[in-house]
Amino acid sequence: MRAMRELGARQEHPELKELVMEASHALALLDSERLEELALSCQALNRDLAPLSAEVKEELVRQAREAARDMAVFARVLAATRANLKVMERLRQMHASGLEYSERQVRGWAEMESGHGND
Amino acid sequence: MGTINSALSLMNGALDADQSALSVVANNVANANTTGYTEETPNWQENQPIEVNGISIGSGVSETGATSQRDKVLEQRLDQQQQLASASGVRLTALNNIQALFTPDSGSSSSTAGDIGSDITSFFDSFSSLEADPTDNSLRQNVLSTASTLAGDISSAAASLNSQRTALDQEATGVASQVNSLTRAIAQLDLQIQSASADADAGTLEDQRQQDLSQLSQLIGINQVTTENNGLSITTTSGQLLVSEGSNQQLTTGTVNGVTDFFLGGTDVTSQLATGGGQLGGYLTARDQDIPKALSSLDQLAYSISTAVNKQNNTGTDLNSVTGSVANPLYIFNDPGQVAGSAAAMTVTMTDPNQIAAAGAGDGAGDNSNAVDLFNLGSGTIVNGQSPINSYSNFVSTLGSTVSEVQSENTAQNASVTQLQTQNNAFSSVNLNDEAAAMSKLETSYQAASQVFTMLNTIMASALNLGMQTTVS
Repeated sequence: MRAMRELGARQEHPELKELVMEASHALALLDSERLEELALSCQALNRDLAPLSAEVKEELVRQAREAARDMAVFARVLAATRANLKVMERLRQMHASGLEYSERQVRGWAEMESGHGND
Repeated sequence: MGTINSALSLMNGALDADQSALSVVANNVANANTTGYTEETPNWQENQPIEVNGISIGSGVSETGATSQRDKVLEQRLDQQQQLASASGVRLTALNNIQALFTPDSGSSSSTAGDIGSDITSFFDSFSSLEADPTDNSLRQNVLSTASTLAGDISSAAASLNSQRTALDQEATGVASQVNSLTRAIAQLDLQIQSASADADAGTLEDQRQQDLSQLSQLIGINQVTTENNGLSITTTSGQLLVSEGSNQQLTTGTVNGVTDFFLGGTDVTSQLATGGGQLGGYLTARDQDIPKALSSLDQLAYSISTAVNKQNNTGTDLNSVTGSVANPLYIFNDPGQVAGSAAAMTVTMTDPNQIAAAGAGDGAGDNSNAVDLFNLGSGTIVNGQSPINSYSNFVSTLGSTVSEVQSENTAQNASVTQLQTQNNAFSSVNLNDEAAAMSKLETSYQAASQVFTMLNTIMASALNLGMQTTVS
């Protein structure tokens, strides 16, 4: 909340580039608390954009252009996280449904099968 | 009595099992700080039930060894991301070195490759100065001097690029040697793991193999296939066999067109390795794509400037009233002959400033019409439809974009590796965090980051479209 208030206080000069870079960094480290804090800050920033003067908007345009590359990085990190999440979800499903059989289990079944002979 | 003995045996078995399990736990604690060590959990096996008067009575459990808590899917995903991150990291370093070459050094008094842009301007501007007084010797000297600086900077840039290419070639060869050592070690470990007792978990050996695989993944793009008895087949990402059946295929090298090519089983796999990932992929991409691309742009620039300027000077008349001809050409630069190699060979061959043909053909020494034409070449579309300065600017700008793109890739890939390491540590290392907590952290972070991304995207889109509504519902 403190970070949000600080951002609100300097809303006329939002450091978009820093914000985007910090989001990428927090996502890389899976810092969910910081990301949630950033989400609130962005929400506040976004809400307060409408009444800005033309001069401040011009400044915002410059900052948005500067932050464009970092936004592309953030998008890539987000895409990589989504892929990692899918891998982890698949793993969890495999573990939950017991699809991943242990070698001992497999050996046990093989022994059972061999015990049946040619019947 | 049979019942009491059975009960005692059952209790005894349970105590033995507990003791074995304690040994496994002790082993985990002892290895908590060992790199690559994977936590082991005791395996419990139900003993055969005892039949008493036709009634089956359970006979407890035995501890049958330990199983490492590793997950191959996660480890392979981690290895895969490491391959990509290593490749882009190595390529990024090489690209940064190339870019540094073309960055003006404001603190340097001597001209360098970074000054090529201003060299081009100075060279063509020198003809503009000469227009004012075509007979002035110092102005003529200035033309040769600026030509010499331009040629020197272009040829030194080409030489530096060739040196960087040689260095990358050596690095790639060194990586191939490391790959061979690792695949040999993995093949030997495979044999040991496969020959381990069927009931035993070759935990330590598997940890060691996993560590070797992680290292191998950083060096070269690989695919892994688990075979019988927990063996492993390893191929390159394009499918060439590296390890199989406890033996490894050596990566050999040979010189082809002045650079080192890489062979597996007699097949040249250099281009496949370049796109496969790992450090080797990064080195080969920089060596075979990025540097040749930069050299090609420089060659084209050098060739176009040299041929256009030589041709134009040869159409005029110099201060000695000599008009250029095929037999007696008035060339300022060496004649490149072909595009390839033009940059490295670029030099000023004219030594007499009087040979600068400022006058039009057959005109008097005071005429400046050819100097005007020579100056106009600076803004003419002589380099593949572009002016020399625009062509050079585009080259530098394209290089910058490539660096930026690879930087983005590398940052994202490293972030992905960091995330996966966190997951892998929680899952397979001696760690108090459990799998569920790690998974929850990943999910929450992704959801929060998605929100941040959506809002930032809206803010940026709104900012870049001034006056648009920006509020998020």
